[in-house]
Amino acid sequence: MNSPLPPPGAPLEHYVSGAPYDPNDVEADNKHVGPVANASQMRLMWWYFRQHRVAVFSGVIILVMYLSILICEFLAPYNLHTRNTEFIYAPPASVHFFRDGEFVGPYTYGQKMTLDMTNLKREYSDIPGDVQPIRFFCRGDSYKFWNIFESDVHLVCPAEGGHLFLFGTDRLGRDVLSRTIYGARISLTIGILGVTMSFILGIIIGGIAGYRGGLFDMIVQRITEVLQSIPSIPLWMALATIIPLTWSPLLVYVGITVILGLLDWTGLARAVRSKLLSLREEDYVVAAQLLGANGGRVIRKHMVPGFMSHLIASATLTVPGMILGETALSFLGIGLRPPITSWGILLTEAQSISIIALYPWLLLPVVPVIVVILAFNFLGDGLRDAADPYK
Amino acid sequence: MITRRGILGLLASATIPTSLNAKSLAGSEATDADQNLPELQKRLPRNPRILDLKSLGREPGLQGGRVRMLVGRQKDIRYVPIFSYSRLVGYNEQLEFVPDILESYTVEEGRIFTFKLRAGHRWSDGSELSSEDFRYYWDDVIQNRDYLRRGPPARLKVDGVIAKFEVLDSLTVRYSWDVPMPSFLSMLAAPIPQTLLLPSAYMRQFHGKYQTEAILKPLMEEYRVDSWVRLHRKMSRQNRPENPDLPTLEAWRPRTYPPAEQFVFERNPYFHRTDENGVQLPYIDELVLNVSSAGLIGAKTATGESDLQATALGLPDYTLIKEAEKRFPIKVVLWRETRGSTVALFPNLNCKDDDWRVLFQDVRMRRALSLAINRREINQVICYGLARESANTVLPESPLYKPEYSTAWADFDPAKANALLDEIGLEKRGANGIRYITDERQANITIESAGESTLETDVLELITDYFRQIGVALFIRNSQRDIFRSRVVGGDVLMSAFQGLDNGLPSADMPPLQLAPTSNDHLQWPVWGLHYLSGQTQGAPVDLPEVAILEKLLEDWLHTTSTAQRTRIWQEMLKIHADQVFSIGTVNSALHPVVRSNRLQNVPNEGLYGFEPMSYLGVYMPDTFWYKGEG
Amino acid sequence: MLRYIFTRIVTMIPTLLLISALVFIIIELPPGDYFESYVAELRSMGESADLEEIEILKERYGFDQPLYKRYFHWLGGLMVGDFGYSFEYRLPVNEVVGERLWLTILVSVVTIIFTWMVAFPIGIYSATHQYSWGDYGLSFLGMIGIAVPNFILALVMMYFANIWFGTSIGHLMDREYLNQPLSWDKFVSILEHLWIPVLIIGTAGTAGMVRRLRANLLDELKKQYVVTARAKGMAPGKLLRKYPLRMALNFFVSDIGSILPAVISGAEVTAIVLSLETTGPMLIKALQSQDMYLAGSFLMFLAFLTVIGVLVSDIALALLDPRIRFGAGRGE
Repeated sequence: MNSPLPPPGAPLEHYVSGAPYDPNDVEADNKHVGPVANASQMRLMWWYFRQHRVAVFSGVIILVMYLSILICEFLAPYNLHTRNTEFIYAPPASVHFFRDGEFVGPYTYGQKMTLDMTNLKREYSDIPGDVQPIRFFCRGDSYKFWNIFESDVHLVCPAEGGHLFLFGTDRLGRDVLSRTIYGARISLTIGILGVTMSFILGIIIGGIAGYRGGLFDMIVQRITEVLQSIPSIPLWMALATIIPLTWSPLLVYVGITVILGLLDWTGLARAVRSKLLSLREEDYVVAAQLLGANGGRVIRKHMVPGFMSHLIASATLTVPGMILGETALSFLGIGLRPPITSWGILLTEAQSISIIALYPWLLLPVVPVIVVILAFNFLGDGLRDAADPYK
Repeated sequence: MITRRGILGLLASATIPTSLNAKSLAGSEATDADQNLPELQKRLPRNPRILDLKSLGREPGLQGGRVRMLVGRQKDIRYVPIFSYSRLVGYNEQLEFVPDILESYTVEEGRIFTFKLRAGHRWSDGSELSSEDFRYYWDDVIQNRDYLRRGPPARLKVDGVIAKFEVLDSLTVRYSWDVPMPSFLSMLAAPIPQTLLLPSAYMRQFHGKYQTEAILKPLMEEYRVDSWVRLHRKMSRQNRPENPDLPTLEAWRPRTYPPAEQFVFERNPYFHRTDENGVQLPYIDELVLNVSSAGLIGAKTATGESDLQATALGLPDYTLIKEAEKRFPIKVVLWRETRGSTVALFPNLNCKDDDWRVLFQDVRMRRALSLAINRREINQVICYGLARESANTVLPESPLYKPEYSTAWADFDPAKANALLDEIGLEKRGANGIRYITDERQANITIESAGESTLETDVLELITDYFRQIGVALFIRNSQRDIFRSRVVGGDVLMSAFQGLDNGLPSADMPPLQLAPTSNDHLQWPVWGLHYLSGQTQGAPVDLPEVAILEKLLEDWLHTTSTAQRTRIWQEMLKIHADQVFSIGTVNSALHPVVRSNRLQNVPNEGLYGFEPMSYLGVYMPDTFWYKGEG
Repeated sequence: MLRYIFTRIVTMIPTLLLISALVFIIIELPPGDYFESYVAELRSMGESADLEEIEILKERYGFDQPLYKRYFHWLGGLMVGDFGYSFEYRLPVNEVVGERLWLTILVSVVTIIFTWMVAFPIGIYSATHQYSWGDYGLSFLGMIGIAVPNFILALVMMYFANIWFGTSIGHLMDREYLNQPLSWDKFVSILEHLWIPVLIIGTAGTAGMVRRLRANLLDELKKQYVVTARAKGMAPGKLLRKYPLRMALNFFVSDIGSILPAVISGAEVTAIVLSLETTGPMLIKALQSQDMYLAGSFLMFLAFLTVIGVLVSDIALALLDPRIRFGAGRGE
């Protein structure tokens, strides 16, 4: 509208529309901007996250793995302790699908064991006539589901009276695949529990340090410096040897979790502290304080949500460290001990060069370790990229 | 150029105090001041011990060569005096006593031992070996109250009285007791023998009685000890050859000062044995012990890094090493272990738990547990079926063996086991199939092991299944050796799993200390054992009649005068053990790989491997091993 | 500048003191003490423990004294270089440790250099070719390095190195050179064996460093001055070298602080598996046999190494970046 300026002192010509006014109307016009501008922080984060395809994929894998913990008795072809002394150190079964050119579904051959007396080695050969079709949703070893229900349904089982060792067997004839599936329970949960512990510790300690400042802050700073200066694995080793050997396996498990979590909170605490220090001066914090909120409430309700996403991203990136830590400690023999089964313990059995040379399938439990760690790393990356959608 | 690395390194090393640099001698080799050795005739005793190798089924050989061995820790240099097996009196392969360092010995009335030395026998530094060395040890060490505050060691006393020691002449000494001392010779032939002599000419310089304070003080400072007693003890330690300057009578003497990763042992030029051709033993010039991490020793042996390896190997290593024979100049053979049982279960007759103690003291319980075990399967799993299924008892190669000892209650008969348990009164079972031992308690046994070998855990897993068939639930707990032992003594452990009889190859002339409660090490009756060991001051006296008989038989043995008497006593004790099943054995005579360079001769293809009594390789005389062909 | 260095060193001292207290508590915590395990072990070997000698040792090393006295005794000893007594070896710790300390430093330093050399080009490539196949591919390789546990990698590499190259199993040098003074041959032998542990320990650190470098560079490349320079017509290559790379260098130096503990940690486990002559294998044996002074000394040494490393990197960073000197801090 091209209107010339009025003479000095005179009111500006203006036009006020009488139509009802909706402030959001303006934005509603720009349809392509609408959803984005209106979206909550959570939504924005999700959209960012979704772009990172690999991260989403990793997230799915992790979710699947953790869910599998709940039904591992069902997934594993055999029970954790099922033993088959006729099939010690059997190599992984080869699964065939075609027979005489026709697709017949998955099957394996029965195997015969002969003992090579010069080398004292067990040799396994297929019996061509003994076809063992693999069954699905079938009845196998009986187990107690969640220690409550008695059941014997498995996802995959060998043929009746046959055997199916997809990952081979170990020195007592136990199926490596089943043990790996059961081992996930311990390895994955230790990671999560340890991280949860350090998460809580980190937030509390870092929060108070950042918010209060002063002497407490200085002490905490010194302590974090100290803990970050001591290399973690030697420290874990030293702490692990403290655990009395007379404790029950469950207590040892808790002890190891505590040890792992106890040393990792420093990174989180530092992040929390620095974020709090910078946010402390924000107006909304001052406003909250003026309105009478006490420290805890201010931290909880106003400051923490601001950087929670960062924290979650950081935490996700710490889980792999914990899993590796548990694996390393068990491998060295100072972490968990049999009869608990974790991936670390399974790998201990593959510790000697003899095993690598002669029975390399005992190394297969390292595959889920790699997958989980990769998945957590990608997931953490994705979360971190998405964490601050307003950037 | 100054790089960051340089600065970092400089800064770091500057901050490390200089005393952290290894002691200048550590790892270095001792040099002989006098390289000119006298001729052979002057170095051998006038009457050396001549080994007729041909008659022993071996080949006489040539001197020369170096044998490399791998050990897991620096402490394991103690193997060398065990392998070398130079003893006053030793065992031959038939476990008979043979004079070795001694020219001859006589035993009168089982209590008077007269030892005659070889004329002209010298220590490894050339100084004369004479009865003075015996006297020095007896008067100035054992009887010296500064040295041993509590007086002479108990094993040299009979009924609390120490022997009387006399020097008859420069080559003859005599030890006499008032009552028979049947274990004296076996103490001298043991893998770690009872010391009776020290090189007095060398040791005097460390003794407070012979050396001036002025000289002792700086020595004490140098070796960081604060009394001449500790100095003397440190310098005279024979079972761990850490002092290259200490003269020795073994076949090889140490040349390396610890700490080190590699220990060299050189031939002893004054060694007292020769072969039938007059060639002085040992044939091998040098033994080199390399310290490596125990887990890698199997793999390293399989890549030819060891010329003679028996320790730190296990049957699982055999396959890899056998396949490596095609690529490396090594050969592996299988010997058999000498333990009474590879893995044995020990119900604790002294446990604190009242219910279980009563049950374990009931022989039917122990028999039932033994009958429940499928030894054939255990044999298949841990030894490819090549071990022997047996109770925890002596091996067939022992002169005391009788087949009934090994088969007693060792069949696989779960029906009979169930019947026995029913007979005791434990018929009631719970919904999970486990019997009730009282109205509320089920038969849950926690079995502890020292947690050192996966073998034990594997066998225990198998046994868990077997016991479940007879209504007993077993829970495995892995512990650590020292805690494990203290818990057993404290009565907190119901049942333990460990290796069986230490010495599965006894002869009648060895004291049957393992068969009666003599030490708190015995896992089935630690408290009674402690009672004996402490001279009745600690622990509790035996209150089970059969065990009391064993105690009495042991006492009888300690007062025997003839081998026939001793054999009878042994047989009785073994029979009681077979009958009463105080420990539950599984398999024995398991296979143990022994690896050698394929040029090394005279290493037996078959043998019995164990600490006691074979001293690992000792009784097989490694000083007679030699290299054939080009090196 | 000097003031900065001085302040950093001064703040390092309470940190070290705290570390020593922590280490001491840790080594005193395990139940039982060396003597019990020693006696049990001797018994099992057939030797009878000389109980008298043990009493004397206990007395001498003040095992009957209260905790705080033992702590100050030990701390005092540390200051003068007396690291205590190793019961396993029956020798003072100083003499047992030998070459292990400088070999540990060597392995760590070479690993860090390797990490730099590899992360640098990869990081730059990734940042400048963001989201390309190369970027994803290299990231993936790096991830593998992080994900595979060190000890498995060590075992497998040790095995294959032996089969393909004939490298002897484990250790940092051939047997002949142990305890020999440093010579050219010994040096070459060390190099031959060194690459396996360096490769194993380095891969994990490299991946992390690449990621951080990439993130940092990306941030820099988005900044105003880069856009200005490009608008003014500066060639991209020259631009890259002149400005963001300086930032990247900064980053390398400051990153030592974050990767050094991880490198030393990873080095420990790898060393145990490969039986290297560094502190790792001896540390775990000491911890298992409760040879406390030995274990404590190693822990102190490792912590000390880390602290010194971080100090050096801080000083180097201060030298490079004036902002630090004037108190702007490291920046997260």
